[in-house]
Amino acid sequence: MSDAPGPCFDLAGHCITCGDEGVEMRVLGVDAARGLALCEDAQGKRATVEIALVDAVAGGSVLVHAGTAIATLGERAA
Amino acid sequence: MRFVDEFRDAELGRALAGQILATVEPGRHYKVMEVCGGHTHSIYKYGIDDLLPANVELVHGPGCPVCVIPMGRVDDGIALATRPGVIFTCFGDMMRVPGSEGTFLDAKARGADVRMVYSPLDALRIAKENPEREVIFFAIGFETTAPSTALTLKRAKAEGVANFSCVCNHVTIVPPLRALLESPDLRLDGFIGPGHVSTVVGARPFGFIPADYGRPVVIAGFEPLDVLQAIQMILRQIADGRCEVENQYRRVVPYEGNLRALEVMAEVFELRPHFEWRGLGFISQSALRLSDAYADLDAEQRFGVPGVRIADPKACQCGEVLKGVIKPWECKVFGTACTPEHAIGTCMVSPEGACAAYYNYGRFAREREVV
Repeated sequence: MSDAPGPCFDLAGHCITCGDEGVEMRVLGVDAARGLALCEDAQGKRATVEIALVDAVAGGSVLVHAGTAIATLGERAA
Repeated sequence: MRFVDEFRDAELGRALAGQILATVEPGRHYKVMEVCGGHTHSIYKYGIDDLLPANVELVHGPGCPVCVIPMGRVDDGIALATRPGVIFTCFGDMMRVPGSEGTFLDAKARGADVRMVYSPLDALRIAKENPEREVIFFAIGFETTAPSTALTLKRAKAEGVANFSCVCNHVTIVPPLRALLESPDLRLDGFIGPGHVSTVVGARPFGFIPADYGRPVVIAGFEPLDVLQAIQMILRQIADGRCEVENQYRRVVPYEGNLRALEVMAEVFELRPHFEWRGLGFISQSALRLSDAYADLDAEQRFGVPGVRIADPKACQCGEVLKGVIKPWECKVFGTACTPEHAIGTCMVSPEGACAAYYNYGRFAREREVV
């Protein structure tokens, strides 16, 4: 499906579901009341991310899958 | 890219390949299964199998949710998508998975309102923006994706979004692994465990593999050095006579997983008594459905689905590929009748499917030199 990547694909043409994909994103701001955070990936693309499953803090990094942060990451995560 | 380059270092890769060569016993054949479609993709994309000795064989597992969904479930989805007034949402890779009468893309071409979404939350947003329409999300994925669906359903329930519902096709990783280990036609020496599934479920659920079946498991990341190191760790265990679950991906995967994710999944989902896996047949307690508390949001209950079991096309050998019994290129229709552009089988649809990954990256270099 590399010829026509859909929204669930990352830049490399992966499917986020089948690839068990996780994207490292930096947390820019947290909306604790709504359980959401504005995050940015390594390419500078921003997205609103569900953070109910992690303790996200502004300036930290999270692993995002299908719009949801599933883990917080240390300094050396990839 | 930040932090990534060091996991793609060619020099370190060659050093790991040397360690692997020094670890294996000449004359013994090793079969190692990478469970996850993401690992399959990395292996072909980076040519990892070309760095391995000839007696170390990688077997591609069933860890691509698209590849294991049976045709009958696609037909159920299409039946819902073609209902008047419905907006049907799914991940992009589902769009081209063939059912018995075409794909979701075909249904869209015939007039159904089928939309690709990046996350279940996007589907919920569409529901809020279209209160006069029924919005159905076709949920698919292993434990990595299930928490996202669960949180979305919790939001929908809390916010009273009455026009949103979900077809739940989430599957769990342990039962198919057990089925593979019970399979008489497949002998495996070890497993590369799924990295991000383990972020959610932790390492503990894989303990049965060494305990009950005497096979090592190494949970691994997705960069080429991650995969190479995981293979080296599996072979090291075998050489040392050890058998345990090791975590190569400690920078991301905590041993206990994500407890909040497991809690929300336990609230929203319950195990189905059985579920059909393409190529593996019906496996007990291998998939999730919505719990009674969320029955109102279950599209299968709200609208009803045909629920008819459809046999796979006769020419398709996805089942044998999924079980690792044959390699992608050994399928009768690989690369001829079945290509990524015109897929017959699901393994060719998803880029993480063994056939598509091999078609895109590996088919030109099958004849590798014996190391």
